[in-house]
Amino acid sequence: MLSFENAPPFAAPLRFFLTAPLFSLAAGLLLMAAGPDLLASRWTPGLLAATHLITVGFMLQIMLGALIQILPVVAGVNLGNPLRVARWLHAGLSAGAILLASGFLWGAPALLSAAALTLALTVAAFLVVTGWALYGVPSTSPTIRGIKVALVGLAGAVGLGTLLALAIAHGWAIPLPLLTDLHVGWALGAWAGILLAAMAFVVVPMFQLTPGYPARPSWWFPRLMLGLMLAWALAVHLDAALAIRLIQASAALLGIAFLLLTLRLQMQRRRARADATYRYWQLGLASAIFALAMLLTAAVWPPLADLGGWSTFAGIMLLVGGFMSFIIGMLYKIVPFLAWLHLQNQAKPGRPVPNMNKILSEAAMRHQMRAHAAALVLLLAAAIRPDWLARPAGAALALASGWLFYNLLGAALRYRLHLQKVDREEAPAV
Amino acid sequence: MSHSKTPHVVDARYMEPPEPFVQTMEMLDILKPGEKMLLLLFREPHPLYKVLTQNGYAYETELLADGTFEILIWR
Repeated sequence: MLSFENAPPFAAPLRFFLTAPLFSLAAGLLLMAAGPDLLASRWTPGLLAATHLITVGFMLQIMLGALIQILPVVAGVNLGNPLRVARWLHAGLSAGAILLASGFLWGAPALLSAAALTLALTVAAFLVVTGWALYGVPSTSPTIRGIKVALVGLAGAVGLGTLLALAIAHGWAIPLPLLTDLHVGWALGAWAGILLAAMAFVVVPMFQLTPGYPARPSWWFPRLMLGLMLAWALAVHLDAALAIRLIQASAALLGIAFLLLTLRLQMQRRRARADATYRYWQLGLASAIFALAMLLTAAVWPPLADLGGWSTFAGIMLLVGGFMSFIIGMLYKIVPFLAWLHLQNQAKPGRPVPNMNKILSEAAMRHQMRAHAAALVLLLAAAIRPDWLARPAGAALALASGWLFYNLLGAALRYRLHLQKVDREEAPAV
Repeated sequence: MSHSKTPHVVDARYMEPPEPFVQTMEMLDILKPGEKMLLLLFREPHPLYKVLTQNGYAYETELLADGTFEILIWR
């Protein structure tokens, strides 16, 4: 009776989860190879490449892969052919991330243009497929509304990113710094931030046994954040510098409010044991609050952002400390759970299925998390003292990412091993 | 646990999956004709909805201010 009808096959999301750590590993290796020069400012080609290896190669990869899996569970909708969607989406995102990072790194207009087109087409196709599936589905929960609004944010973020990449490739005269900040706002606020909240409404109470998110702010958060990003775009269009600062400060405050609410819910959780997911979320919450507080301070007093390392420090705090921690924390629940669920569906009634801890052990996750936390500390220190610490910080990020890959690959292999056992038992005894 | 809508309540708000699903199925098995049951959760259980519809059950969901989804189920 546990069979979740039409649940996408495990292979659909798994390919994204296994590839993503390789991109953050590549970001670490890049920092290790390039050294301190990479962190000289937020505009160095190397840092732009490394940032997009993490945001497109790691984050976007996992977020879209997980959406394919989770849409039936949280919204009751299925994509037409999830495995086929997963195949071309995975290929497009992987190729796009590699092209984009190479384009930045070597300043190659052809690579940048190819990256922009690949990512724009891939994401547009994904938006059409999910938009089609979600069309006419009523927003009966804040999560469904959040996903719909986040997809608008994704369209804006990728649209702006495409424009920027093409402008850099072809030397178009557009206000690059203003539009880059707007692109970051849409990508991390309107897309990743709203999607994170929409998922948190479901997974924080479910996985960490906390109280639920109060309904009213949950309904409002996605619309408010998107509204702020639209206002930001308008302010850029009108070249209204003070309005831009005011909107940035408001968006940072809205983000902090959501994070503080999540922190409060976690403090009321009914599970005494602090598992890897819980610890990862604690790290993510603390880091993201710190990063947004930095953005808020810089919006109030802009000269701060010109301090050496300020922007890089805040960016590392938000991406590696915040988003990566939230995402890995969720993966550590989702991957063993999906493996268990698919094994359960394949097994004969009454046949035991290995428990989730056998598929991915708590100790393995905890050790990897320590490596991730150490990488975060080193990267932050490297933002302040690149000359000493850039290379060790790159090595630490590569190590933590490689370890994540090893953990997830191990879980996938153990899943396949058990699946083969199930198949053998199911074989007719003739 | 009882509730103004029905005495048959599964409060699954602090349970880990798949416990809410299992307990709901067990409760449905012991319901007498004409009786309703109420499931309390902090999320909307879409996979359960599908199973309910396939098995001829009807349901009605209400989201309360504290984030609780009240799902009233009957046949």
